[in-house]
Amino acid sequence: MALVNLESVWKSYKKGRDRVEVLNDISFRVNSRDFVALMGPSGSGKTTMLNLIGGLDRPTSGVVTVNDLVLNNLSSGKLARWRSESIGFVFQFYNLLPVFNARQNVELPLLLTKLGRKQRKKNAALALDIVGLSDRARHTPARLSGGQQQRVAIARAIVADPKILVCDEPTGDLDRSTATEILRLLQILNQEHDKTIIMVTHDPKAAEYAKRTMLLDKGKLVSRLIQPDVEAEVEA
Amino acid sequence: MTIFGFLIKSMFRRKLLVTLSMLSLTTAFLLFILLRSVAVLFSGDVIDVPDVRMQTNSKYAMIFPLPHRYGEEIAAVEGVLAVTFASWFGGTFREGDTSAMTFAVDPSTYFEVHENYQISTEHLEAFLGLRTAAVAPEAIMYRYDLEVGEKVPVTSSIYPNTNGEPWTFDLVGTYRSENESEAAFLPFLFHYEYLKEASGESDVGWYTFTIEDPDKATEIAQIVDSKFENTADKTKTMTESQAFRNMMEQFGDISLMMNGIIGAVFFTMLLLTANTMIHSYRQRIPDLAVLKTLGFSDGKVARYMIFESLLFCTSSAAVGIGIAVATLALIGPYLPSGFVLIVTWNTLFWGTCIAVGLGLFIGLVPAFSANRLVIVDALHAR
Repeated sequence: MALVNLESVWKSYKKGRDRVEVLNDISFRVNSRDFVALMGPSGSGKTTMLNLIGGLDRPTSGVVTVNDLVLNNLSSGKLARWRSESIGFVFQFYNLLPVFNARQNVELPLLLTKLGRKQRKKNAALALDIVGLSDRARHTPARLSGGQQQRVAIARAIVADPKILVCDEPTGDLDRSTATEILRLLQILNQEHDKTIIMVTHDPKAAEYAKRTMLLDKGKLVSRLIQPDVEAEVEA
Repeated sequence: MTIFGFLIKSMFRRKLLVTLSMLSLTTAFLLFILLRSVAVLFSGDVIDVPDVRMQTNSKYAMIFPLPHRYGEEIAAVEGVLAVTFASWFGGTFREGDTSAMTFAVDPSTYFEVHENYQISTEHLEAFLGLRTAAVAPEAIMYRYDLEVGEKVPVTSSIYPNTNGEPWTFDLVGTYRSENESEAAFLPFLFHYEYLKEASGESDVGWYTFTIEDPDKATEIAQIVDSKFENTADKTKTMTESQAFRNMMEQFGDISLMMNGIIGAVFFTMLLLTANTMIHSYRQRIPDLAVLKTLGFSDGKVARYMIFESLLFCTSSAAVGIGIAVATLALIGPYLPSGFVLIVTWNTLFWGTCIAVGLGLFIGLVPAFSANRLVIVDALHAR
C-alpha cells in the first residue's frame, strides 16, 4: 500500500481574471521508506505538488491520500494537527525563527504535543545530535552557517518523529560540499531512520541521492526514473 | 521552552521598537493614575466619612460665619445626637509654606461628634485642660516634624495675632482617624475660646453634628435649615461627605478636565500601539507561516497574537500603575494638607479594564489577519 497517493489531482490558481493550471491530472504514489526526487523546470508544479502532499494546500480536484487519510476533506484545524504529527518540512531558505536559538527552533513542533518541558528539551537535543549540531544548540540562526541552519531545520523536521519529510530545494541555497553533507544526512534519515522523503530539486546531482526521480513539466508527470543502484536492488 | 516563554521571546523580536512602545504605554498609564487621583480628589470621593455626620454652613458661602447660638437650636432638633463647631484658622507652620488645615474647635464636643477620631484619654485631658493647648494629626506631625510637648508657632492671614507675633500653641497630643482615607484631611486643632479671647471673634465657621438615623439625613437637614430661613444668616445643611464634595466642586469640574486629558492620551496611545502591533505583525508574517506549517492551527496563531497584545498592554499598564502608586506614596507626605492623591480601587479597576480593552482591540487586526494567513502565499513571499 502506498504511503502517499495522488489520484487525478488538478490544481489551478486564479491570477487576475485568468485561471492558471499548475497541475494537470497528476497520479502519483510514494511507498513507505521511499526517497523521491521531484525535478522539473521552474513553474512545472513541483512545489505545488509538495504543498499538496504536505497538507499546506488543497487540490482543485482529485484526491490526495497520505497514510490512508484523505487530506481533501480535513478541516483546517485537523489538517494542522495532522501536519504536526505526520510531516516534517525542510525548506530552501531554512525558515528558522530568528529570535530562537537552534534548540528552541527544534523544540517548536513539540509545543503542540503533550510532552513535558524536560522531555521536549531532551527530544530537541536528540534531534540536534542526529544532525550533528549538539554543540550549536544555543546559537541563534544568525550565528550559524547556511549548512548548519539547514541541519537545524532538518532536526526540527524530524523532532516529532514524522513518517514523511517533504523537502523543497533543501540544497538550493548551499555550496556543493555543504549540499552533499545535507543530502547524505537525508539519505541516512531515509535508510537508517525509515523516513519517507519527497524532495524537490533542480539539481541532478542532488536527485542522485534519491531512490526515484520524477520529472514534471507544465504540470504533468513526464517520466519516472529509478536510480541504477536502486534498479539493481529492485531486480535482485 | 514554554508557550509563555515562546510568546515573550516572539514579542521582543524587535527589542528597541517594542521597548519604546511599552515605555510610551507605561507613561500613559502612569499619567492615567496620577490624573485620576487628582480627579478623584476634586470629585470629593476621596474620603469616607460616617453617614451619620452632618454639617451646617452658611447658605451663601462657606466663608461666611454662623452665630454661636445656632448650636443649641441644632441640638434641639429631634434625631440630632451631638453638636460641635469649628472655625477655619488657615494656619501656616513654616514661613513661605502653604497653609495647613487648622481649626479652632470646642474640645469638649469635637471628639464626641467625630467618633472615628482616635485620641488617647491622656492627650484629650491635656487638650481640655489648657487654653492654649492644641492637638495635631499624625500627617501634620510628620510633615512639620512636630513633637508632643513643644510650643508650635503658627501664623494666620485670617486671624493675625494682635501683637504681630505668631500664635503659639502648646502641642499636648496627637490623634488619628480610623478611616485611612481621612488621614490627610485631619486638621490641627486648638481651643476656639483661645481664638475668641485673642481676636474678639464671636461667630463660628460651621456646625457639625451627628444624627441617630442616616436615612433621616435629608429630613433633618430641611428642619435645621428651615429654623434659620428667616434670619440674616441662612444655613445649608447636608451630610459631611456631600459638604466635602461641594467644597471640591467650587474649584471647577476638574474631573471632567482630567478625564478629557486621559481620553486624549489613550486615544493617541491606541493609534500608536495599534500601529506598532500591526507593524510587528507584518514583519512576522513569514514566521507565522512557518508556525502554521509546523502544525499550529489558524485559531492558535490568532490567539497568540491576541495574547501577545494583551501581554504587551497589561505589562505596560502594570509597570505604569506600579510607578504611579510608588510615586504617590513617596510624594504624599510632602503635599499640602488636604491635597490627598490616592489610588482608589475604582481607578485600579478602570486601569485594568483599559489595559485589557486596549490589548484586545489592538490585537484584533493582527489576530484576524494571522487567522486568515495562507501558508503557501506567506512562504512564497519570504
